[in-house]
Amino acid sequence: MTQLAQLDRQVLETAKRRERSYAWRQTRVAWVFIAPAVLLVGLFSLLPVAFNVGLSFTKWQRFSGIDEFAGFANYQRLFALPYFSEAMMNTVIWVIGAMVFPLVFGLLLSLVLRNMAFQETIKSLFFLPRIFAPTAIGAIWYYVYAPHGVVNSVVSGVTGSEFDFGWLYVPSTVTGAVIVTFVWQNLGITMVLLLLGLSSIPKDPIEAARVEGATPFQVFRYVVWPLLLPTVMVVTILNVAAGFTTFDLLWVMASDFPGKRTLSLAVYMYYESFGKGAWAYGAAVAVVLGSIVILVSAFLAVVQSRVTKRIQ
Amino acid sequence: MSIDINDPAFLNSLIEQESKQTQTRSPYRALPMLALAIAYLIPFYLLLVTVFKSTEEYARKGILELPDGFGPLFGNLQEAWNGADLGRAAFNSLSYASIGSVVAIAIAAAAAYGMTRLRLLGANAWFMLIFTGTLFPFQMYLVPLLFGFQKIGLVNTWFGMLLVYLAICIPFPLLVLRNSFSAISRDMDEAARIEGAGEWRIFTSMVLPNAKGPLIALMLLQFTFIWNDLLFSSILATGTEVRSVMVALQALQGTYSTLGPNVVAAGALISSIPTVALFVVLRKYFMQGLSVGSD
Repeated sequence: MTQLAQLDRQVLETAKRRERSYAWRQTRVAWVFIAPAVLLVGLFSLLPVAFNVGLSFTKWQRFSGIDEFAGFANYQRLFALPYFSEAMMNTVIWVIGAMVFPLVFGLLLSLVLRNMAFQETIKSLFFLPRIFAPTAIGAIWYYVYAPHGVVNSVVSGVTGSEFDFGWLYVPSTVTGAVIVTFVWQNLGITMVLLLLGLSSIPKDPIEAARVEGATPFQVFRYVVWPLLLPTVMVVTILNVAAGFTTFDLLWVMASDFPGKRTLSLAVYMYYESFGKGAWAYGAAVAVVLGSIVILVSAFLAVVQSRVTKRIQ
Repeated sequence: MSIDINDPAFLNSLIEQESKQTQTRSPYRALPMLALAIAYLIPFYLLLVTVFKSTEEYARKGILELPDGFGPLFGNLQEAWNGADLGRAAFNSLSYASIGSVVAIAIAAAAAYGMTRLRLLGANAWFMLIFTGTLFPFQMYLVPLLFGFQKIGLVNTWFGMLLVYLAICIPFPLLVLRNSFSAISRDMDEAARIEGAGEWRIFTSMVLPNAKGPLIALMLLQFTFIWNDLLFSSILATGTEVRSVMVALQALQGTYSTLGPNVVAAGALISSIPTVALFVVLRKYFMQGLSVGSD
């Protein structure tokens, strides 16, 4: 080997070593930058979730330690109890309601508002409920449904005879009534997101379809709808997640409802854990809820990525 | 048909078409929709007429009837402010929401910087780890957090509550800021590095100012989230010195409350003021946040 080649190799190696030590130093600096986020999220959200799964296999009550392993006992109990299946049924109703109604009404509104004067004003009016806290909205709507409340007064006024129905006390109406409030609060944001999606659709294919003589419905069905699907998926994912986990509205509005625990899985979990102190059992309910949420979200995410790909 | 732009008939038909199109934007067509939007807000009308009524007046009158005067408003607000310690709770929530949102986003921004602008081994794995924090419903956090906080004495403390809000408010901003930081050119910070600038300096004076829009939008979103929270604070911080405004409002409204609907409505009004004011002032960023949130 010639001296020159040896020197060459030496230079190359020093450069490589320098490069490596630079990369190493940068990685160490990067660790400092990400450390607070990793620590906080790890300690106060990921660790609790893992711990929650473990707890669901114990016999733990509020004042006893986590002493005894119980296997699947909590899960067996859960599937045997009518409360759980009722809460599950209501959760399904919630998810469907939260998915369908804001989407249908939001779509109608956004199509009507698209080219309308005062669009901004009307949009803001429909959006207004969303900037209030669900707890405050629930407190107001409580009196909308109350005896002598708005709904009953209007019905009494229209029919001319005294009407006094406890919308929030009766099992057959309480879920529907709170879903109406949820839709009322979330219609605006759904509509705004759909309007954003509509405004990003190019005008040319719509014009072309019109020139070809397509009816407004055909234009919507075959041109606008396929191009709007990615936005529809975003809205659906947000609303389905909200449908699964809505708590504030139910807790505030249905605070007097005797069968409170069966209102949804989120409420059932809270009631069992913090109302009754059955912590391990509540943890098991949370695990079931979490598993369903993750499965459904994963499914929706797959659909979303397919829809987006098809458009590109 | 040939197009002749000097042909008056053709020009007339163009003008006619144009005016037809503007007709669809005629303000009169918006009237039914405006009426619908106003009818939609009847619950807010209920809120407004109720806060001006005394308890006696509320019982005597129809629920949507106008109040006699503005008089009772001050008394209602005062009663709501003192009952259930709503005033104290509002200050608590204000501190949680303002400090929590600012610190959480600063931490998320630092992490996003480390992941996009520095050579971090396994940057994607770190990101996925933190992002996992958005997958699970909050119901899965509650029992372990209460248990853990009881062990280490953080239950019913201001600091413990803040830690939980911080952890929850980091993952989503990290996702957004990772995207916005990647979009900022890297040439600038390479140049600055050669000039001898430290990473902290590049982060605070070159990258952060270039992401002002998303940073403000995220702060609004997270401020609103913390201010509106009932679930976590109703479990982890129930003492009157540390509890949040929503917990206090719920206590005001709850089954065992003896206060009239007029006082509850006043409480709902008080507890809505900060987020509504922020929305009105920073509406532009709020809408930007919506499109950020849906990407």
